[in-house]
Parts: sequence; C-alpha cells; structure tokens
Amino acid sequence: MTPVFPSIFLTESDFCNHCRERLPANPERTTTDIVATSSIPQPATERSTRAQRLFTLLPGTALLFAIGIAGKGLESLGSIIPRFPHIEYVLWAIILGLVLSNFFVIPQVFRPGIATYELWLKLGIVLVAAKFVLKDVLHIGGMSLLLVFIELILSLSVMTLLGKLFKLPPKLTSLLAIGSSICGVTAIMAAQGAIEPDEEDTSTAIAAILTLGALALFTFPAIGHALHMGQQSYGIWTGLAVDNTAEATVTGAIYGEKAGQFAILSKTARSAFIGFVVLGYAVYWASQGKAHRVENKALFLWQKFPKFILGFVAISILATAGFFTQPQLNSLGNLSKWAFLPAFAGVGLRTQLKDLVNQGWRPILVGVLGEIFIALITLGMVFFAYHGAAQ
Amino acid sequence: MSPRIQPAKAIEQARLFFNADVAAIAIALSLAILIRFNILPRIGW
Repeated sequence: MTPVFPSIFLTESDFCNHCRERLPANPERTTTDIVATSSIPQPATERSTRAQRLFTLLPGTALLFAIGIAGKGLESLGSIIPRFPHIEYVLWAIILGLVLSNFFVIPQVFRPGIATYELWLKLGIVLVAAKFVLKDVLHIGGMSLLLVFIELILSLSVMTLLGKLFKLPPKLTSLLAIGSSICGVTAIMAAQGAIEPDEEDTSTAIAAILTLGALALFTFPAIGHALHMGQQSYGIWTGLAVDNTAEATVTGAIYGEKAGQFAILSKTARSAFIGFVVLGYAVYWASQGKAHRVENKALFLWQKFPKFILGFVAISILATAGFFTQPQLNSLGNLSKWAFLPAFAGVGLRTQLKDLVNQGWRPILVGVLGEIFIALITLGMVFFAYHGAAQ
Repeated sequence: MSPRIQPAKAIEQARLFFNADVAAIAIALSLAILIRFNILPRIGW
C-alpha cells in the first residue's frame, strides 16, 4: 500500500530528516502536501510563497520562546519568592506547554510555528557540541556505540517477541521495534516509507512511542535520583533508553545540565544506526513480497542518516582545534541553552494527554513492557560501563 | 484495534516545509562564525 503521508520532505519531531525519500505520486495526497513537496519550479510565485510560509511560522515560534522564557522566569522566582516551587526551567517549560495544549485550544495560526521546535532542538544539539572536545566525543560516543549495538539487538528481539506474544500485526510490531530501538517517531517515519505498513499501524506506533516518551519524562529522573546516579551515567542511560530525541534531551536536562549533554551524545550515537535498522527491515519485508525492493542501499543509508550529526561533529572539531577562545565556547554553550528553551516548550505543547489514552491497549502494553525491559538492560549496562563516572 | 489517531493528525503539528537538519547546521555555523569574530561579543544565560 502506498503511504498517504510520505515521510519525504517532512521533518518531524525528533531527529532526522533522513526519512526523506521520493515515493511514487499518490493521488490521496492532500493539496497541502503537494504544494509543500512539489519539486516543479514555480519561479514567479515560489519566492513569495516561501516568504509567506516563513511568515506563518512567526506566531508559533514566538509562542515557543514565550513559554520557554516564562519557564526560565518561573525558575528564577523559585529562588526569590519563599515557598514558590523551585523547579528547573526545563520542567516549567514542559508543564506550561502541557497545560496550554491540553486545557486550552491553541489557535491554528500557532501550529506551523510550533513545528519549528524540531529546528531549535537540532540547533541546540549542534551548538552543544562546543562543550565536547573531539576526544570526548570519540571516547564517550565510541563507548555509547557499543552499548547502542547491544541495546539494538536486545530491544529489536524483545519487541518482536512481545509483538508475536500479543498477536500484533507484523508490520506494527516492526514499527514498534524500530521506534523503540532507535529514535522514536523519526525512525517510524523513516520505516514508514520503506516497509509500507498500513496507516493504522503507523499512527498506533507513533502514538505508543509518544506515550512512552511522555512517561519517561517523569519516571527516569525519579529513578535516577532514587539510585543516586551521576550526571554522566544518568545522561548516557537516558540517551540509550528514551526513544525520541526531544524526550531524551529533556529527560536528561531535567536531571541536570551535564546529564542533558551526555544524553544528547549517547542519543546521537544511537540515531546514527537508523539507516541500518530500517534497511534491514526494508530488505526483510521486500523478501516477503510486502514492500518494494531497495535498489540502491548506499543511497538509502545516506537518505536515512541524521545529517545534523555532521554539524555536531563539525562544531566539536572546531572547538577541539582551538578555533574558539574559552569565553567564546561559553557563549556557544549558552546559545545552545537558548535554542533548547523553545524545543522544551514544544515537547510540552505537542503532548496530547487525551490522545495518549485513546489507542489500543495491546500496542501500548507491548511498548511499556518492551521499554521497561530496555530501561533495565541499559541501566545495567550503564552501571557496568560507567560505574564511578564523574558526578 | 481501531486507533483513533490519524497519521496526518499525529504529525500535523510536526510538519516543516524546510530541512531542519540543514537549517540547524547553517544557523549554528553562522552563529559560531559571528561569535568567533566578535561580532556577537558575548552570549549570557
């Protein structure tokens, strides 16, 4: 079945634009899709259309920044006003976003701009590389790669087993396995174009992964505190176990600034595997005659690769090469925090609590059981690999 | 199983018309250059 909403030209919530690929023309695509994805040159109107589209981003972008800055302000109030809850700005931004999106109707005019939280998230991730010299990236990233490899094998196997046990549709099982093992919604979207599941399966898998991400925001920090985990070990664990990059970043940042940075590093290493896993599933489903063959595997891998990782490495190389002075590195680090502010607000805004409970119970049960397993396994691995790591 | 979430709706809020990866890299490198050459002298928090 040809997907109705191609992953092409869509940039979704967490990481990667690597799910962009050309799919056959689809008569079911909406006019908006066609306008948004057309590659036919429209010289007379294209520039003005693009300017108009950019203009439509302003209200939602302003809302994201307003929520983020309000969160920062509320954090400051905690240290000024007695008895005012002392909560990190990260959590304030999420709470404010959650309240706004779940208890009020957000006017349509804000929606296009709210989607830019993905841009701010990626910008923050690229800029935070200034905090890592290349040696750290290679060392921690290399260690993370090993852990990611083990995590991938285990989580793919367990999710597949659970899917069979609970009699989920095979392609839904594949999507849940891909989403929970690599990078959540992005991986599902990337796989959607490759293994051609039913729309229902895709939407169910996305909703399940978002539900689990929302749960992680509150459970992981509590577990981290209960186990007195260090910033590094907690951050690495979060990056390995939380599916969506946005949620992984936030779950890390709630615990502490350093934890957030390490969460990004390990999550980035995990995301680098997306092409290989999706390719594996694409080849499998093609061999079953239930998806198109992948003709050019190298091109497929490049399309799925999260390109912003290249920016992360580039900034890290510049920082390592002494291109910036220490105060300039601090400025870049602060800029990354400013970029994360609207991204955190976006995580809250996009979480629809009513949607999270309005899905079939079996996928969510499979997801929860699988995630608990993954969380425990990765926690054990992190304790083994990083025991006694810097606090 | 009949999920009530439609795919288009599920990603509606997450749809951008430009490549966020490329945009993020371009903005980050531009900011880095502005900071490196002191055009943006100091960013506080």
